[in-house]
Amino acid sequence: MSRDMTCEAARPQLEAYLDGELDRATVDELEAHLGTCATCRAELASLETLRGALRALPRHRAPADLRARLAADGELPVASAARAAPAATWWKLAAAVLLGVFVGVGLMSVGPLGAGRGVGHGASELVAMRSRDLLASHLRALAANSAIDVVSEDRHTVKPWFAGRIGESPPVVDPKAEDFPLLGGRIDYVGDQRTAVVVYGHRKHVIDVFMTPGAEAPDAAASQSQGYALTPCVLSGQSAWIVSDIDADSLRRFTGLLGCG
Amino acid sequence: MSPRGSTPVDAGLVRDLTLPHLDSAYNLARWLMGSPQDASDAVHTAFLRAARYVHTYAGGNARAWWLSIVRNCCLATLAARRPRDVSLDAMESDSAAALAATAPDEPEEKLHLAQSAALVMKHLEKLPPEFREVLVLREIEDASYREIGEILSVPIGTVMSRLSRARQMMRKALSAPPGVET
Repeated sequence: MSRDMTCEAARPQLEAYLDGELDRATVDELEAHLGTCATCRAELASLETLRGALRALPRHRAPADLRARLAADGELPVASAARAAPAATWWKLAAAVLLGVFVGVGLMSVGPLGAGRGVGHGASELVAMRSRDLLASHLRALAANSAIDVVSEDRHTVKPWFAGRIGESPPVVDPKAEDFPLLGGRIDYVGDQRTAVVVYGHRKHVIDVFMTPGAEAPDAAASQSQGYALTPCVLSGQSAWIVSDIDADSLRRFTGLLGCG
Repeated sequence: MSPRGSTPVDAGLVRDLTLPHLDSAYNLARWLMGSPQDASDAVHTAFLRAARYVHTYAGGNARAWWLSIVRNCCLATLAARRPRDVSLDAMESDSAAALAATAPDEPEEKLHLAQSAALVMKHLEKLPPEFREVLVLREIEDASYREIGEILSVPIGTVMSRLSRARQMMRKALSAPPGVET
């Protein structure tokens, strides 16, 4: 390479130079060029200015409670020895999501949900609103990339995942039935409420169990909306809603397996 | 599924690999996710994943291994949050269009040096995630091209071009007169 570097050759090297990623020989050539070229010096100065501005930004430090949480014993899941399991879960999940999107597309016209909320709603209206919010959350999750934030068939993984993310860690029940595998969990919004959702599968259907502490579930009636059943229940003393499009018989079996009150 | 088929993870190893770089992990997550709660959630998820997949760590740069898990957890959450624009390619072309739109008749580039850190922060937060993350890793975490390439699972050439475009976008944004949104 000649000692006289052109601007065309120098320009693309300026950032690597600034980042300390150039070899010695190229550094020498580039510096020789910079000594004679005001344009490239100005470009380098502009890059250095930006660097100064960016390096002045705060480096966010991990909060003490996060550090403590991760350092605590009991926070770690057990590693599954069966390596085939996660792959199977992904496959099932992918199939379920695909189907969900397919089914969901025609249903996404539910309209803006949770709109028009205000004071003076009657009890039945509140229940209707909640049903709408639950269904919206279910459909949103089906349409999204992933209906599940933590993918696991192991309730000992799912339960600690919720801890610290949400006030009350939900009961995670393993139905222990081949055709109702635990798929994982996510945090979702029902209306404006952060809610723990435990996700199960059944054939190619997804079953969402929304934990809704303090909600009116126990005395609310089951309802049906656009082919999706919304079923209130009590799980280990917490009120919950089950949302899915599985048939009534399977749903009865599922609630029985969960031990719903 | 069955507890008998499970073995306890090597908790010591997971913590040795992740906790020394917890600030890096949190900082990256904080810049990608935007809020402290979401950042903590993402790092927590990543930690559980790291524990689950600790057997995939094959030596080498532990920070890069751990940050790549953190990054993936962040991007998965972001993608789920905005199902309509999950495609990185789509985002790239949007950004390219935005760049092209601001490129013509831009006056001689002069950065408003006195700009407050708040403004710099605001523009960085507005960059698409794939450009924001390379700047955060390079300038705030002081990661090398090679390390960034490992974290993003892309070749070094891609790191360089993304970094270059990210810088170009930041310089354009910062050189726009105050009050003009790009």
